[in-house]
Amino acid sequence: MKRRTLLKASLQLGITGLLFPGIAIGAYPTRAFLAKQIPDALREAFGTTDIGESSKIEIDAPHIASDANMVPVRIKSGFENTESISLVVSGNESPFTAYFRLYEAQSFVSTRIRMADTSDLLVIVKADGVLHTNKRPVRVGRNGCGAS
Amino acid sequence: MARTLKIRAHEIDGQVIVKSVINHPMETGRRKVQKTGKKIPPHFIKEVIVSRNRRIVMEAFWGKSISRNPFLSFQIPGRKGDTITISWLDNRGNTDSASAKVR
Repeated sequence: MKRRTLLKASLQLGITGLLFPGIAIGAYPTRAFLAKQIPDALREAFGTTDIGESSKIEIDAPHIASDANMVPVRIKSGFENTESISLVVSGNESPFTAYFRLYEAQSFVSTRIRMADTSDLLVIVKADGVLHTNKRPVRVGRNGCGAS
Repeated sequence: MARTLKIRAHEIDGQVIVKSVINHPMETGRRKVQKTGKKIPPHFIKEVIVSRNRRIVMEAFWGKSISRNPFLSFQIPGRKGDTITISWLDNRGNTDSASAKVR
């Protein structure tokens, strides 16, 4: 039960703001978020760029996004024991967008993102220690302005 | 600080569907003040922690590409009456947290 203790401790620290909450369970992957190229970002985040494609990951996003600053994305992982879900927007200046670490039997997350340009959304799912990826193109309307 | 978090959670067949909105400017650091051309410094949420009955169920790391007033939705196993707590931390060290009961 050591893991639970660590989790609890990190949560308390997070709320009091004394320390960075992720410290016990994997700190904020700053270098992945700063990376300008997708391979660099993947290497920083996962230690590899060699990730197999899988259609078991469902990505739900509009084909054409009318507002580039608010593109809704829904991600569903078809894998059991999904450990994490990451979102990479290939057209953005800093492609690495979000990383969700899941601790229970979860497989779904949804949020809204910025997209600088028409490009692919990449989702990387880690399940049972194995990485899987899937992508989906999204077209951005002409009023899409420069979100990084 | 004004209330920054709105959380709704309801249960269907043992799955709790949580929807939440955080009030936050999420500045990327690339936007400029139109008159002066000065860049608005980055100000964005880096980390969100979700717990159910005081146990962490999800931890999210975010970059600048998340929209302003971020919307976050997810599904976790749970029951009616459970307490869902969400807390966030931004790059300036601001933080806030709120709880909601599962309905």
